Amino acid sequence: MTAVAPPVAPPETTTGTFRREDTRLLCGEGEYLGDVQRPDLKHIAILRSPLAHARIREIDVSGALTLPGVIGAFTGAELAAEVGTFNHHLEAIPTLRQLNWSVLAVDKVRFVGEAVAAVVADSRYIAEDALELIEVDYEELPAVSDVEAGLEADAPQLYEDWGDNVFLYIPGPHGDTETAFANADGVLQEKFTHHRIIGLPLDGHGALGEFDAATGRLVLHASTQIPHFLRTVLAEITGLSEAKIRVVAPDMGGGFGNKVHMVREEALVAVLAMRVRHPVVWKQDRTESLTASVHSRQQVHNVEAAYRNDGRILGLRAEIIADVGSPELYVLGAGPAIVTTAIVPNCYDLQDYAFELRCVATNKAPMGAYRGYGQGQAVFLIERVLDLVGEKLGIDPVEMRRINMIPDEQRPYVTATGAVLDCGSFHDQLSDLLEGADYAAACRRRDEARTEGRLVGVGIAQMVEATAPNIHGLAGQFGVYEMAMLAVQPDGKVNVVVGTKSQGQGHETIFAKAAADELGISPDDVTVSDGDTGVLPYGSGTWGSRSVVMGGGAVIKAARQVRDKMVAIAAGLLDAPADQITVSDGFFRLGEAAIPFAQIASAAYLHTFLLPPGMDPGLSVIVGYDSFNTSPFPDERGKMNVAATYATAAAAAVVEVDPATGVVSVGDLTIVHDCGTVMNQVILDGQIHGAVMQAIGQTFLEELHYDENGQPLTTTLLDYAIPTFGDIVEPRIIHRETPSDLIGGYRGAGEGALIVVPAALAAAVHDALVPLGVPITQANLSPPRLRDLLREHSAG
Amino acid sequence: MTDVRFSLNGEAAEVDVEPRELLLDTLRDRLSATGAHAACEQGACGACTVLVGGASVRSCLMFTVQVNGAEVRTIEGVGSPGALHPIQQALSTHHGLQCGYCTPGMVLTALEMFEADPHPSRDEIVEWMSGNLCRCTGYINIVGALEALAGTAEAQS
Repeated sequence: MTAVAPPVAPPETTTGTFRREDTRLLCGEGEYLGDVQRPDLKHIAILRSPLAHARIREIDVSGALTLPGVIGAFTGAELAAEVGTFNHHLEAIPTLRQLNWSVLAVDKVRFVGEAVAAVVADSRYIAEDALELIEVDYEELPAVSDVEAGLEADAPQLYEDWGDNVFLYIPGPHGDTETAFANADGVLQEKFTHHRIIGLPLDGHGALGEFDAATGRLVLHASTQIPHFLRTVLAEITGLSEAKIRVVAPDMGGGFGNKVHMVREEALVAVLAMRVRHPVVWKQDRTESLTASVHSRQQVHNVEAAYRNDGRILGLRAEIIADVGSPELYVLGAGPAIVTTAIVPNCYDLQDYAFELRCVATNKAPMGAYRGYGQGQAVFLIERVLDLVGEKLGIDPVEMRRINMIPDEQRPYVTATGAVLDCGSFHDQLSDLLEGADYAAACRRRDEARTEGRLVGVGIAQMVEATAPNIHGLAGQFGVYEMAMLAVQPDGKVNVVVGTKSQGQGHETIFAKAAADELGISPDDVTVSDGDTGVLPYGSGTWGSRSVVMGGGAVIKAARQVRDKMVAIAAGLLDAPADQITVSDGFFRLGEAAIPFAQIASAAYLHTFLLPPGMDPGLSVIVGYDSFNTSPFPDERGKMNVAATYATAAAAAVVEVDPATGVVSVGDLTIVHDCGTVMNQVILDGQIHGAVMQAIGQTFLEELHYDENGQPLTTTLLDYAIPTFGDIVEPRIIHRETPSDLIGGYRGAGEGALIVVPAALAAAVHDALVPLGVPITQANLSPPRLRDLLREHSAG
Repeated sequence: MTDVRFSLNGEAAEVDVEPRELLLDTLRDRLSATGAHAACEQGACGACTVLVGGASVRSCLMFTVQVNGAEVRTIEGVGSPGALHPIQQALSTHHGLQCGYCTPGMVLTALEMFEADPHPSRDEIVEWMSGNLCRCTGYINIVGALEALAGTAEAQS
């Protein structure tokens, strides 16, 4: 067990920087989407709906076309007639409403910010001027802004042919909740709420398209976490073959899950590049990001928990209502809510668990992926239930967890929803947390503070995260696998190409190390690339804490295959059996004899007569790597193992609430984190720091507001507060390393702290408010919300 | 259109722009200085920070015509791949950057800070830097990097 983030990162390069990415990024020489320059580049600006719900009667773009510098102006109806549509590819789910949508709205708009028309012009300035010359005749319709109101029988309907606003309904009756509730000593009934926020990469979505009419080839540069998936979808929209499309994802200023979706604008850029025969670019501005990209988290949970007086939770029923906004988003924006239902049992032995999931369409921006992907809501649910039941029974939070945790000897443990947990000891992890946080002392200090009238609280939470998930069940295609190419060049230097896509996680550095370790050479001899579909046939991108697990596994698998061939060459040259050859420090060795790595490389390309008889020249492989343990679909009982492996974490927080202002100060935060084998601890700790800060933002600062008419009220970073330097919370980090059975032993990292910390903060705030008797059942603990809560309580 | 002349990282720059053109766009689109980034376009995040006459400004809120005759310094004039500025080196050594999008603005704000005060305390660093947003790092390692530099001879170089 090691504790506390190391303050200094040892250089991973010979040039003295920690990461090889650092040099260009520090010097302003990174190439983000907005930095990609092309001669004759034209700019796209998009006219967006000012109304939350309206029929489009008519659009007149003729005014825009009169402005000098305008190349073209396009409506949804015009483009829809010529190009393909998006759909969710989930015909297999009978309770999902089947939808098709185009690159721009046609006939109807369903949220403020929905793309209605597009202008291509010589500059963004001219393009935006031209938007003001487009006239749209709307017939305004009543809007659904509140998700629960959207379920009422007389609610306005977003899609008249549905008969209601339920986009997706999934029942999940696992185990025998009837018996569990019949045997219970008591039942806890609670309602939990999660507010709408946004992942908010500082560098938003964007795309630059180039079409070569002579060859019929399209290149789309896009700030995307999933370049190959995007290529597949672009082929559907444009009608081009995937062999004619190349998607390039440049440096990315964050993604955080938002860019795992293919926003319609990316396809629009491709379509317009083909139409206007100039390179064209669209770069999302911040208002577009806040109103018309990908929001997250908003859910309502109605929960019943059956418990025994000894603290055991016997059964759980959860009605989960997710506000998915406009459902016109691929990959399915309801995905996180589905994952919420799967993760509710968490690390507890809870087989009798029934849920009903309703994903409700509302007149707001689409809901979708953000770091944590629905798992934080599930963890919040079960962790709150444990604390609230414990409070009723007078059992302390630690004991409630010990009573209900999955026993250590049950591995693998199959959860109620089918997750096959291969995790380490939950009991030991909790013990590490209590020791690392000095929990007993923290509770003593809390008790002392209470006697002084201060509202100090201590809270704990635990989580299991489905890492390296199989996306097929949510996308109707794709999988859990990853691909990698590895080529040793004639001079002995190595190229690695991965199908993952770094958004700041340092993949160039860590994958170079992974390949070098297998090949017995220095990482400085390895060059890593990602994000280019022209170089690697396919890949699954970066999301779901999967990159080290699946990308790292693929790199290691590729390196081992090439190493084996190099060993065979060396064995031939040394006239020895291959199993006697060892590889280290840039040499293939047999006793005292050693052949340099580069010499084997040159033999494979430049002096092929040296190769063993019949051996093909060259030293390159493209490998696919699958974990072979996930399910693409739920089985007939609705169960599926969603992920290649599972990471775990636990957190303890100490807070103090100022009842006058509603401000919560986080005094101490401890995280125990088990992501299996750690590939690079400095980068890992950086991921945890970032996730903690986002947890602070989510809990205490951030909320996307809409008024009752569906008008967004948080449209700039002056309205939407994300954490800044003054909000720093420095966690105490304790690493446990329980290797998985996968190549490298990795379990995946990046999201865990954002899944578990909000639940720990809620528990701590609840504990702080015990003297006032105000239970915490909402994820939003911002000063105004907390003040509202305290006021409601004192009033009533 | 207006003729605007200024010094960009010590070299003469001349552009012919509309009065409404923002300095950020001029730097990026006309002068290939793409290290300053657009992120909020409202002056809230600091990703577009450059120094004008040694003082940090939001280039997304400043018109290009306003820098006529001024000295403008961008990240391209701070360090180079072969010769990182001590602030840049410290950020790397302490892993104070992840995606790097906010980093040029951080470097320029830190540069201004160390010019004004070579010995900032941790609280003063937090105060100086608080106008620059980062969504990746949680700020911890940025503060750590600048704290390590504070008080050293390199801080003011």
